[in-house]
Amino acid sequence: MGPKQTARPAIRRAPHQLRGMTVTSSLSVSRRIVLAGLVVGIGLASAPGWAQSPTPKAGGTLVYLEQQAHTNLYPPAGGFYPNGGILNQITDKLTYQNPQTLAIEPWIAEAWAVNEDKTEYVFKIRKGVTFSDGTPLDAAAVAKNYDAFGRGNKELKLPVSEVINNYERSEVLDPYTVKFVFSKPSPGFLQGTSVIGSGLVSPATLDRKFEDLGDATKIVGSGPFVVSKQVLGKELLLTARKDYAWAPKSSANQGRPYLDQIRYLITAEDSVRIGALLAGQADVIRQIQAYDEKQVEAAKYVIYAPSTRGVNNSVVFRPDNPLVADLRVRKALLHATNAKEIVQTLFSPNYPQATSIIASTAAGYVNIADKLGFDLARANALLDEAGWTRTGNGLRQKDGKELVLTAYESLPQPQNKATLQLVAQQWAKVGVKLNVLAGDAGSRVADDLDPLKTPVSPAMVGRADPDVIKSQYHPANRDVLRQKGGQSSKVQGFVDARLNGLLEAVASEVDDQKRLAVAGDIQRYVVDQAYAIPIFEEPQAFAAAPYVKGLAFEAVGRPSFYNTWLDKK
Amino acid sequence: MSSRYLVGRLGQALLVLWAAFTASFVLLQLLPGDAILIKFEGGDLGLSPQQIAEIRLAYGADEPVLLQYVHTLAGFLQGHFGYSIQRGVPVTEAILANLPATAWLTALGFAVATLLAGTIAVVSSLTGLRWLRSLLRGLPPLFVSVPVFWLGIVLIQIFSFRLKLIPVIGAGEWEGLVLPVLTLAVPISAPLAQVLIRAIDEVRTQPFVTVARAKGASSRWVLFRHVLRNALGPTLTLAGVLFGELLAGAVVTETVFGLNGIGRMTEQAVNNQDAAVLQAVVVISAAGFVLINLAVDLLYPLIDPRLRKTVGATT
Amino acid sequence: MTDVPFEQQAAPATPHRLDLRTSTSRLRRSFHPGLWISWGVIGIVAAFAVVPWLFTGHDPVDGSPLERRQAPSLVHWLGTDELGRDLFARIVYGAVNTLSGAVVAVAVGLVVGTLLGVVAGSSGRRIDDAVMRLVDVLLAVPALLLSLSIIILLGFGTVNAAIAVGVASVASFARLARAEVVRVRRSDYVEAAFGSGGRFFAVLWRHVLPNSLNAVLALAALQFGSAILQISTLGFLGYGAPPPTPEWGLLIAEGRNYISTAWWLTTFPGLFVVAAVLSANRISLSLRGRSA
Repeated sequence: MGPKQTARPAIRRAPHQLRGMTVTSSLSVSRRIVLAGLVVGIGLASAPGWAQSPTPKAGGTLVYLEQQAHTNLYPPAGGFYPNGGILNQITDKLTYQNPQTLAIEPWIAEAWAVNEDKTEYVFKIRKGVTFSDGTPLDAAAVAKNYDAFGRGNKELKLPVSEVINNYERSEVLDPYTVKFVFSKPSPGFLQGTSVIGSGLVSPATLDRKFEDLGDATKIVGSGPFVVSKQVLGKELLLTARKDYAWAPKSSANQGRPYLDQIRYLITAEDSVRIGALLAGQADVIRQIQAYDEKQVEAAKYVIYAPSTRGVNNSVVFRPDNPLVADLRVRKALLHATNAKEIVQTLFSPNYPQATSIIASTAAGYVNIADKLGFDLARANALLDEAGWTRTGNGLRQKDGKELVLTAYESLPQPQNKATLQLVAQQWAKVGVKLNVLAGDAGSRVADDLDPLKTPVSPAMVGRADPDVIKSQYHPANRDVLRQKGGQSSKVQGFVDARLNGLLEAVASEVDDQKRLAVAGDIQRYVVDQAYAIPIFEEPQAFAAAPYVKGLAFEAVGRPSFYNTWLDKK
Repeated sequence: MSSRYLVGRLGQALLVLWAAFTASFVLLQLLPGDAILIKFEGGDLGLSPQQIAEIRLAYGADEPVLLQYVHTLAGFLQGHFGYSIQRGVPVTEAILANLPATAWLTALGFAVATLLAGTIAVVSSLTGLRWLRSLLRGLPPLFVSVPVFWLGIVLIQIFSFRLKLIPVIGAGEWEGLVLPVLTLAVPISAPLAQVLIRAIDEVRTQPFVTVARAKGASSRWVLFRHVLRNALGPTLTLAGVLFGELLAGAVVTETVFGLNGIGRMTEQAVNNQDAAVLQAVVVISAAGFVLINLAVDLLYPLIDPRLRKTVGATT
Repeated sequence: MTDVPFEQQAAPATPHRLDLRTSTSRLRRSFHPGLWISWGVIGIVAAFAVVPWLFTGHDPVDGSPLERRQAPSLVHWLGTDELGRDLFARIVYGAVNTLSGAVVAVAVGLVVGTLLGVVAGSSGRRIDDAVMRLVDVLLAVPALLLSLSIIILLGFGTVNAAIAVGVASVASFARLARAEVVRVRRSDYVEAAFGSGGRFFAVLWRHVLPNSLNAVLALAALQFGSAILQISTLGFLGYGAPPPTPEWGLLIAEGRNYISTAWWLTTFPGLFVVAAVLSANRISLSLRGRSA
């Protein structure tokens, strides 16, 4: 494809470019403020609380307890929380998404320009940035990163990043200017450059095979911390880079990180993490369960529950399965699900009840709570209408077949086993049985690909861009509905061309306003089709000792320790 | 014992090792899914079926099973344990990184278990207090009636979080081993205590004890020498079983305490069907088991002359 | 896998056999009330399994979400869980899963193991060697690893977990049964029975089996207790029965997360398991005593 203008596009400042998006995200900002009353100190980086704190003290080691070991630190694998929690400390991104405003701000890219139809992006790279192995972070390095993320690398088995759509190639225009060319419009790309999955790593790291990137010490980034020691599956030691001097402009700190070191310790047992924190053996822990919040607050410790700003914690259907192929059945189950009861029983105010398929803090959110109401009478009527009649044992039947559905619990989601059991209790009231399966990873993945085996599945994913909906639903991405031609070869025929069209539009609509309108259409469409039953907005829940100051979270709730310091003698 | 017997026994040991390798290979083949499916097809990476097919090809995952078997076996014979798909490192590296922790944990666990068992047995036998005797002798059955993971969690809650005596997180190398070792030692000590108690009871009823006492030996010394000799046999027989128990205990203990060891590695490998790691774990532990049994078989007749005739038929 | 079955060492150590019996039967005489209590505990647990509705009016599966995580009270004797289900009801109704799990586990080990052992012990050298090397292979593969793999193979569930635990115990039964058969076979009266022209299987059936039975039953009682614990450990590692099945081991395993906020959730199922396992061990001891 030939660019229309041969002259280099004029470089303009970011806020102008992104006006459309900043305006719309201010909507969600106002809602966030309401929520902030419930959540203690969310995203502190530049919040007022920051100014009131005493002057930060440098030094000290922070002990951070993580629930699961990282799997692979190839940046596009950063969606997995433990991976992202590490990558966010050791890599920088081209742009910085301000967690308060969701605006895209300069970081490693000082400035950028985008052409009209969003097929060409030009980034001006900040000078003087180096990777921790000493190589300069210049246009060539950035180009190499994005070529890997956007196209993958078969020889090295590097997969394509899910946040980069329609990527074609890069061009190094001069040592500090790089251009990316797309085969089709890619409006989500600018935000895509700010996510953890687009963390920039040294060219040497990208020469390694995918499986070598499980070794954290081999991931060389330009971030404020460097992995200095690793005990695989148990511990990581991150050491501050004393020469770090390229933080995003909005950061209070512009120099070296305050902490000397961070110790990441894998502590799988929930009771051990929380107990160790309260006993003073750890400073910050990830994944604190809602039922432990009270004892944390009683000890005057602090809970952080930053939103993941993505697709809500939901139950999705696989319409390829004949049992849930009928819209009336799915709709009935949507109205038979009492999300309020689930949130009240198992969670806390840090887990707001869902009002759409994406979080109220997500870009492009529209409130469609009116479509989601809990209504037993309506649910029963819909099932009757669909021909499913109640039998002696209370279960509904049609043509001799019972309405029995199956779902596997999702281990990473908070209290998912309990959530699904409660959903099962609720569905039982309208005569539908939901079997909640526990299973080994192999059976779970294999069965999850087969709609006949798993007509129902729990699902969620976080990213602060409307693209996230596409990530979740499009057959070429996570394909949670299991469409034909998607992830699974077991699907017989289910395809929703209308949905896919909308999803592709969101990934390629050039006009921001139109793009957000499409995002709204998708939310309404998915709920109208009852493909998903959203339950709650999933936060990432952390707890920290009161002396831990300046703990911040990026836009989808991964911690950032750059500004963190320890207020103790 | 003849050298022919020795060679035969050695041959059988190798046969067992090979059979364990083959059995585990077959078992792993039968499992639904494999490591690549789990790692790459979970949907989180959003890979297309075509990309996954390429990955499978690159790992040689779709080779004919027989060919895979031959490759794996040949690799093992040369000491190459293959590649851990889940961890992204060679298996040998993963095992070497995890072995020391488990070795210390199990060695100390066994030592503490022996100490605990000895204390229970000796004190309960020597004490004149009937209630103390019943109490102590009731302990071993109690020790094996409590789930190990539960014991570990309760010990952490009490000693680390409530009494704040020993940190479990960020503790020094030795400090951090106290509670895990105790957790592991408690259930292992039970059968040892039983063996010792029985040995003591046996010795006490035997005429030579009376003779020795009459000769002026202190009762403790007599007990000590003869009990040890009597208990050694049954303990050796237990060794193979205890070895297995220590390994299983290590899985649970390491998981509860977040220790990095072979046990937890095994558990994670099972969960992710990381075949190469599992194959290596099976072969290593089978080798340990076979060696211990071989040693027991060869040592037994030296300790207990009565057994010389029946050796070889008892294992 | 969490414990060592007691007295397993009795299997190969034939020469210690005589002394052992005198000492344990002495023990048995002095502990009689304990035995009665043990049978009582097992009896109650069995009653839980057969007629659970006699013991509780609460539903074990359908809870009332509003009453979640309540401490023990007059309404909920042992408190409620995170979904407002009555813990006592879950324990009572869970008994059938726990018991049947343990019974299946023991049955698998007992039947397969004893069969292998008897075949080995009563056959010629070659078959004996082959069978016992097979048993060695079973012992050589770590039991927990074997159990986990079998569960993955068969799928999650109470019965499958029980089979997995049972298979891992086959080797112990086989060794014991073989040792017993060899011992009995060498005794004078069996030699005499063979001598007087008895057919092999007839002699085996009439003389060898009954005489070996007590030792095997004693091991079975022990395995019963340890199977409960092992199924519980599987639950802890995430290989338990799918929800909402109440099963004791799973109750302990799942309740452990609430140890500092709702202590009853892991403590009470734990006490029931300890009581049942202790009783099984005690009964095992008495069975062994009787084999004299």
